[in-house]
Amino acid sequence: MLAVASHVALKELRQLLRDRRSLVLILVMPLLLTFLFGKALETGDIRGIPAAVLNEDGSPESNKIVTAMSSFGEIQIQVEPHSREEAYHLLADGRIKAAIIIPKGFMKQIEAGQEVQLQLLLDGTDNNSAPIVEGVAKRVIQRYNAERAIRGLWAQGVRPDRGRRLIQPVYVQTEIRYNPGLQYLGYVMPGVIGLTLQLLTVMLMAISIPRERERGTLDQLLATPITRTELILGKLLPYFGISLLNVGTILFVADRWFNVPVEEGLPLLLLLCALFVLTSLATGLLISAVSHSQFQAVQIAVFYVLPVFMLSGAYAPIEAIPDYIRPISYLFPLMYFSRAVRAVTLRGADFLVVWKDVAVLAGFVLVFLYWAVLAFHKRTA
Amino acid sequence: MTPLAIETAGLTRRFGGLVAVRDLHLSVRIGEIFGFLGPNGAGKTTTIRMLCGLLAPSQGRAQVDGVDVGRDPEAVKRRVGYMPQRFSLYGDLTAEENLHFFAGVYRMGSAKRRERVAECLRRVGLWERRATLADHLSGGLKQRLALACAMVHTPAILFLDEPTAGADPPSRQRMWDLLYEAAGEGRTILVTTHYVEEAERCQTVGFMHRGSLIGRGSPEECKAGFAEELLEVDADPIMRAAALLRGAEAVSGVSVYGRLLRVFGRPGAGLVERVPKLLGAAGVAARTVRPVAPSLEDVFMSMTRLAEGGAEER
Repeated sequence: MLAVASHVALKELRQLLRDRRSLVLILVMPLLLTFLFGKALETGDIRGIPAAVLNEDGSPESNKIVTAMSSFGEIQIQVEPHSREEAYHLLADGRIKAAIIIPKGFMKQIEAGQEVQLQLLLDGTDNNSAPIVEGVAKRVIQRYNAERAIRGLWAQGVRPDRGRRLIQPVYVQTEIRYNPGLQYLGYVMPGVIGLTLQLLTVMLMAISIPRERERGTLDQLLATPITRTELILGKLLPYFGISLLNVGTILFVADRWFNVPVEEGLPLLLLLCALFVLTSLATGLLISAVSHSQFQAVQIAVFYVLPVFMLSGAYAPIEAIPDYIRPISYLFPLMYFSRAVRAVTLRGADFLVVWKDVAVLAGFVLVFLYWAVLAFHKRTA
Repeated sequence: MTPLAIETAGLTRRFGGLVAVRDLHLSVRIGEIFGFLGPNGAGKTTTIRMLCGLLAPSQGRAQVDGVDVGRDPEAVKRRVGYMPQRFSLYGDLTAEENLHFFAGVYRMGSAKRRERVAECLRRVGLWERRATLADHLSGGLKQRLALACAMVHTPAILFLDEPTAGADPPSRQRMWDLLYEAAGEGRTILVTTHYVEEAERCQTVGFMHRGSLIGRGSPEECKAGFAEELLEVDADPIMRAAALLRGAEAVSGVSVYGRLLRVFGRPGAGLVERVPKLLGAAGVAARTVRPVAPSLEDVFMSMTRLAEGGAEER
């Protein structure tokens, strides 16, 4: 069995090496994608949201609030409009995503002991930025209120340190054990690695058999006593080898440019990557076995590859997916892969922690390969 | 009784509502070259694909080299070689790599494989071109490479689907030399062709028409069994004469060959007397009218016409 499969593998490898364009694509694209996706998602931590301040009061007290607001890196105060109308226009045009308005008489009312309202305008279309600006504004005002209260108490003879304890008796001390910077990149990078490994392998395998069908070479091949298993294994082996090369370069890029700590759990990471690549190859072969043309194969492959990113928890936690859709997530090998790789890279997990994910991935490989063999027919019924 | 290489009984293949091959009873003796003749769509390729184990029969049985194709198609594949109509080797592999690959897939050991591949390359005259990509070979050489691939595992039976389609006469001659050589080694060859002069080279010819075998025998037997009268007519103007004769009673068909007409008639129709009268009455000069022996093509035309009920060809 392996002898014949190796003849097929050698044939595939020869064809691949002669197809320079595909070869370059296979070796360069995953690297490029990892780099681009990584860079694009690195800014998942939002900074510099364009904002405006309308300081109608122009008093020392209102200036304090403006200064405090601009000290946060999350927002960037780009304009100071002259009227509320102008602020609304800027928001409507999309030039700013938030505006804070300090009304006239702000300081006078505070001094008079009255309750004062500041107005915060937010553009709700960007649902990521809006709550961040709101959070910044709340923190600024909370701090401002506390300062004022402490100063008020001091005037009545209460020392500032005691005043602070009176106003804020309880503190939360947070200790972030893993991914201390709470960086989105740390969360998403395993998904990016999986996605890039998956994209080309599924596509290349999917068109493999239909291409032979279209060129007519399958006819000659099917007239020989080659078994279905030999054909499927022979097609799988060379692409598995090339994918392992890609695993190496992608992990290198992830380690060097995106601070994914690869070295410590390297053997386990390699095992996970190898298994995951096999699931992708097997999925591609299954698509290949049931497709009659390359066009059809690409269609099916796209319908598999696209939803994966959204549904597999690679991009956002599957807890964000509604309960009735979540079962679908468990059908994607990428979910188990990115979960396990996150555990290894962020938490330093060992085999005993991720063995279930390893087992599930291995199960996927066996089921998909067996299915591909069964779905392929040597004789037209 | 001579042992048979191929034997089918009631072999039938349907594609949806279309019957591609209908109730085929075929027997091919070991070591003979059997030529399948018939127009496109007659069911020749479908028959071959069933006999190679590539297509499941809808009905009927077929034995190839003693193996039931319906029951054990994979065992058949070990015993036969197949050369499809369309070039089906890997264009991005060299001639030698293609042969090595197929020899490997047929499970030949590496020493034997090397020897056999070299032998095949030399035999079909591709040894000098062995390192050329298959795509870069000429049409005739591609066909010879395909034949070599079909024979690399020394099969008992060769199925060749139009092995000389589109080839120039020297290439066709070369291909037929190779086929005779293979037959001389005791291999049975089933070959399809549109070229009637190629059918003359076969020991047995089978005529297929609309999925049925409408006649078979050696080229000589076929000609001897010709059931019609046949005249060669030299008349002027020739197309007018052809039109007149096509409309005449007792004439079942007229074919034009250059400046001559071949006129078919029912047996005993007395064409030799009637044709000159008919043409003379219409003012067409008939220079010569003489009975001739049928060629294989005449036999084929006549059989096709009879199979269709004699109506359409007139």
